Amino acid sequence: MPETFPHNAGYMVAAYTVAAVILVAYAVSLYRRTRNL
Amino acid sequence: MTLAQKGRWTTLVGLVLLAAVYVRALAFTPIERTQGPAQKIYYIHVPAAIWTETAMILVGVASIFFLFLKDARLDSFAEASAEVGTAFATIVLTTGPIWGKPIWGTWWTWDARLTSTLFLFFLYIGYLLLRGAVADPGARARYAAVLGICGMVLVPFIHFSVYLFRTLHPMPIILKPSAPALPGSMLATWSVSFAVFTVLYVGFVMQRYALARARQEVPHA
Repeated sequence: MPETFPHNAGYMVAAYTVAAVILVAYAVSLYRRTRNL
Repeated sequence: MTLAQKGRWTTLVGLVLLAAVYVRALAFTPIERTQGPAQKIYYIHVPAAIWTETAMILVGVASIFFLFLKDARLDSFAEASAEVGTAFATIVLTTGPIWGKPIWGTWWTWDARLTSTLFLFFLYIGYLLLRGAVADPGARARYAAVLGICGMVLVPFIHFSVYLFRTLHPMPIILKPSAPALPGSMLATWSVSFAVFTVLYVGFVMQRYALARARQEVPHA
């Protein structure tokens, strides 16, 4: 009998996307503020 | 190579490795049977949470030493660690509810762990606002140090809140006295992710510290 899982992959994708956006946005923010140092 | 440039490269390496963590977590780590794919949020939520708390502990430690030694570099490090901790806290407070909705059936509940973590986030924001509001550098560093020490004191309460109160939040799976309760492949993915978040914290702090030092030397930089 095949294993069945809850269908909630959309939440996983949303969380990974949010985390990536926050980290990349902060990295860009730091780059813009420190590029002239 | 300046410290800011070293930090930039470290951050870039961290972001590339983060992409590798995403591939490993999403494609090569088994799906947990009861929670389904949403359980994989754990691999980014928990490393971010650990660094949110560790960053505040480091703010507090640097602040204690600053109050004794009056070394401006300690104040700069605390400022840097606080800003990076705020970024990680934002990840924790967004990925947590995204996990909570399918697993608990609600985005948010006012239990001890969630509420105290939200309070830590507000403390981070308050710390950064305080630094922006006080013009005198000496007073700014002293006031911020006191607030940073208060934030550090909150961290153990957050970690042990799941033991002290009846909470909906799960008990620690990794940071507990006994061995981690994760299968080997899941633990490996989590460990790699934690290492990558560590690289990102270091890269971010190097850049932010360089910026803080530059502002101390030229106040309006």
